Amino acid sequence: MLLLQTILSGVLIGLVYALVAVGLTLIFGVMDIVNFAHGEFLMLGMYASFWGFALWKLDPLFTLPLTALLLFGVGAALYRVVIRRITDAPMLSQIFTTFGLMILFRGLAQYFWSPDFRSVEGSVLTGKVAFAGLQFGLPQVVAALGAVATSGAVWWFLRSTRLGAALEATAADKEAAALMGIDAQKMFALAWGLGAACAGVAGALLSTTFPIFPEVGASFILFAFVLVALGGFGSVAGAFWAGILVGVVEVVGGFLWDPAYKLVLVLSLYLLVVWLRPQGLMGKA
Amino acid sequence: MSRAAAGRAVGLAALVLAAVFPLVVRSATWQNTVILMLMVAQLGVAWNILGGYAGQVSLGHAVFFGTGAYVSTLLALRFGITPWVGMFAGAGVSAALAVVIGWPCFRLKGHYFAMATIAVGEIVQAVVNGWELLGGAVGLSLPLQNTGFWFMVFNRSKLPYHYIALGLLLFTLGVNWLVTRSHVGYYLRAIKDEPDAARSLGVSLTRYKLYAIALSSGLAAMGGTLYAQKELLIDPGSTLSTSLSIKMSLVAIMGGVGTLAGPVIGAVLLTTIEEASRLGFGGTGRGTDMVVYGLLIVVIAVYQPAGVLGWVKQRFPPKAAPAAPGPGGAR
Amino acid sequence: MSTTFRASLLAALLGAALPATAEDVTIGVIYPLTGAAASTGLELKNAAQLAADLINGTEKSLALPMVGGGGLPGLKGAKLKLVFADHQGNPQVGASEAERLITQEKVAAIQGCYFSSVTQTASQTAERYGVPFLNDSSSSVGLTQRGFKWFFRTTPNDELFVQNAFEFLKDLEKRKGIKVKRIAILAENTEFGTGAARLQEKYAKENGYEVVEKILYPPKGTQLTSEVQKLKAAKPDVVFQSSYLSDAILSMRTYKDLGFLPTALLANDAGFNDSEFLKTMGKDGNYVISREVWALDLAALKPVIGKANDLYKARHGVNFNGNSARAFTGMIALAEAINRAGSTAPEAIQAALKATNLSADQLIMPWGGIQYDENGQNRKGAGIIVQVQDGKYVTVWPAAAGTKDVVWPLPAWEGR
Repeated sequence: MLLLQTILSGVLIGLVYALVAVGLTLIFGVMDIVNFAHGEFLMLGMYASFWGFALWKLDPLFTLPLTALLLFGVGAALYRVVIRRITDAPMLSQIFTTFGLMILFRGLAQYFWSPDFRSVEGSVLTGKVAFAGLQFGLPQVVAALGAVATSGAVWWFLRSTRLGAALEATAADKEAAALMGIDAQKMFALAWGLGAACAGVAGALLSTTFPIFPEVGASFILFAFVLVALGGFGSVAGAFWAGILVGVVEVVGGFLWDPAYKLVLVLSLYLLVVWLRPQGLMGKA
Repeated sequence: MSRAAAGRAVGLAALVLAAVFPLVVRSATWQNTVILMLMVAQLGVAWNILGGYAGQVSLGHAVFFGTGAYVSTLLALRFGITPWVGMFAGAGVSAALAVVIGWPCFRLKGHYFAMATIAVGEIVQAVVNGWELLGGAVGLSLPLQNTGFWFMVFNRSKLPYHYIALGLLLFTLGVNWLVTRSHVGYYLRAIKDEPDAARSLGVSLTRYKLYAIALSSGLAAMGGTLYAQKELLIDPGSTLSTSLSIKMSLVAIMGGVGTLAGPVIGAVLLTTIEEASRLGFGGTGRGTDMVVYGLLIVVIAVYQPAGVLGWVKQRFPPKAAPAAPGPGGAR
Repeated sequence: MSTTFRASLLAALLGAALPATAEDVTIGVIYPLTGAAASTGLELKNAAQLAADLINGTEKSLALPMVGGGGLPGLKGAKLKLVFADHQGNPQVGASEAERLITQEKVAAIQGCYFSSVTQTASQTAERYGVPFLNDSSSSVGLTQRGFKWFFRTTPNDELFVQNAFEFLKDLEKRKGIKVKRIAILAENTEFGTGAARLQEKYAKENGYEVVEKILYPPKGTQLTSEVQKLKAAKPDVVFQSSYLSDAILSMRTYKDLGFLPTALLANDAGFNDSEFLKTMGKDGNYVISREVWALDLAALKPVIGKANDLYKARHGVNFNGNSARAFTGMIALAEAINRAGSTAPEAIQAALKATNLSADQLIMPWGGIQYDENGQNRKGAGIIVQVQDGKYVTVWPAAAGTKDVVWPLPAWEGR
């Protein structure tokens, strides 16, 4: 029973990892850029929820669409102002641009909102879900469900809408997409907007359980990287399933073995997979 | 004066400047800043052999730096072996470890390789953190009292550290230079620029990549020993962290990847930015230093993706006629 | 007539006529002002600054040494000037900053650094230069075992804190007729947590308790579910926990969500005593027991504590806590020594520090006073044990300082 509870807890947190990684892999798939500042989108999503609650008593769950919209704007604007200029730069300069952005965002958060820890207290999302001898915090369950819904929506968008198809086409072949009349610039901005919005939604969903502070993105970014590479760079479905896998391995591994090495376990699994299958679980070779 | 000759002249001037600096400037703070520059530059040059010349972007090089620091410190603490020997022992252990890590990782390319090295770095940090023999999370500290050449610990004077750091940097640059002149360097460039062509010509990509990682990691390990001897405290957080790995590559990128002098220029630039932003704004506790630091990195990476040397190449294209032939400067 | 004599004569004449125009005494203060611990670093900075301002000011209502003297009377009313530096949690930066403060800012002494690892390297630099280093807030035992001559620590160290915790447990068992058997240890796996866990394990065994689980976890993770499940499976009576703030919050929420309820939770200061902890946890933070060095309710015994706290609160909107009170106390103790030295010469300050003998009523801490042993450790430091009751930290041990009875065992999470 304890084991079952542990496995399910792993699934719950894994789904949130997955949502963060879906945003990251979307950006990567379309642009071949690994965004080191992705955790900071999550941080901004958390702060957006926090301020909505602190200033206007609006529950993070109600402001969630607004947070998503806001982060979409941040992501798209970031593309227009900065990323656009490094589209064709070498991989290293791209890494360092986003690395610099990561430091910049953390510094700005500390500058404007102080390094204090914040939290959303008294959200509608408090309480427990208990059944058949298992129990989970309601916020975790809602966060996991929200993550599934958002990841699913992104997947549906890419599969079933014209805009999504255009995005996929750009990801597959920039030149060919341009010949078909797709504006690559718009697609890139869209990818950044969507990617940031996914992380922002994850932040909003976490804001009721997780402490909020300028460096909070650091806790999640490593998992997001692992998931993106494990699932296959650019594969939304891959990132999603990898999220669940990693969540379960982390929580169950920590429980059965030593929690000090739960990260080692996840990273070793990742290295093993990419060693056997360099393109990741669901990536294209 | 041709660009190459101008480059040599600038290099020589920089060397003279570095050699006399601590004799002229007596402020310990400035001396310390320059030592930090030299140490970071050395790490950047070491990283550059793998990341720049061979094009394999490692973001886990702190593992090798840490290996050097831990090996020499353990040898000194356990067996009283002088760090002068420990430095080379560390380099050897590190090179061997690099081959073990490199062999499977070189199956991966581009982003996959970079991500894998981050993972390796994090794994090593976590393992050392729980390893009692290596001092665990507390780390290892060298006694402050044993000073002198034999112990490679010097009291108040910065001069010995300065010249050791400078010597190590020159040694690393020398190794790098030899590599670029040798057939290994030739093949590395081929692997980086035309991997498929190189493979079809029968170049064993993995073998040459392994040469590069062994050299690169061995040199980074020597830098680790120097760090341990200067700070006298090594712990997983400060010697094995991913942020340190990123810093090593950052200096190379700022100056110019795959060039001899690039990491040195990058180190001067990055250390200046870091120190200036911390001294200027660090005491306020409002994160202003991070804002300045982050913003500058973004600006440099966006507007000068080829680093400072890339900018120089743009400004002074090689074919250009001598701009201002100085005395004896005509070609 | 020699120039020196003429100058001193002139100075004597002028000194009689004019108010003293002594030079400022510069003190370097190094804390983590950016990075994950920036929030704590700012509190420490604010507290040290408040102490300096009170010493420089003329408001005498606070009966503490040096306060209200308009500067240091022993140095002709010289004012204290604090130069703050940020070590970012990085030992190398701490050492560089110490060097800069010493050589560039010409500080008379250094106070800092909160992180034990940074205190270690920064005090090494001070030792090399022969500049007094006052450590106000790092509790790693090894710091005062290095044979340093310029290192002085006002705060008690971890060993004393752990001893306190077991004395408290023994007291409680006697007084309430209960029996604690099974102990579990949960600690973050950096220097702070591993050191504390090792001591806790040692003292638990010496005191005849069974350590049923010892978990070292990587800090600042995304979840603590595995750790809490392990705890749950081990069924301990008492959990000893060492965590920084974000983990402290996350672990408490996970306990509640997974329905884990030991008889008591004995925290090792840090995150559990951070000003943000109760703000964030609300009612769920109640009944946590923690070792401390300071609590506001001690003002009932020592009114000066309440007065000092009012001043801090008026300025910064929050109460003192164990960290900021220690930074405040460190600065007072340092200034008192410099004043007694009558000079900013390092040797004079070092000698004055060695001769420091502050009594209990000269401090806002529940200590017997400040007097350093040959290693520079304050031998009169003491710890207290507090419990959160109705959203406030109240002192429950030792009995002399104890103002309220401890709530034992932990009441159920629901219906608090």
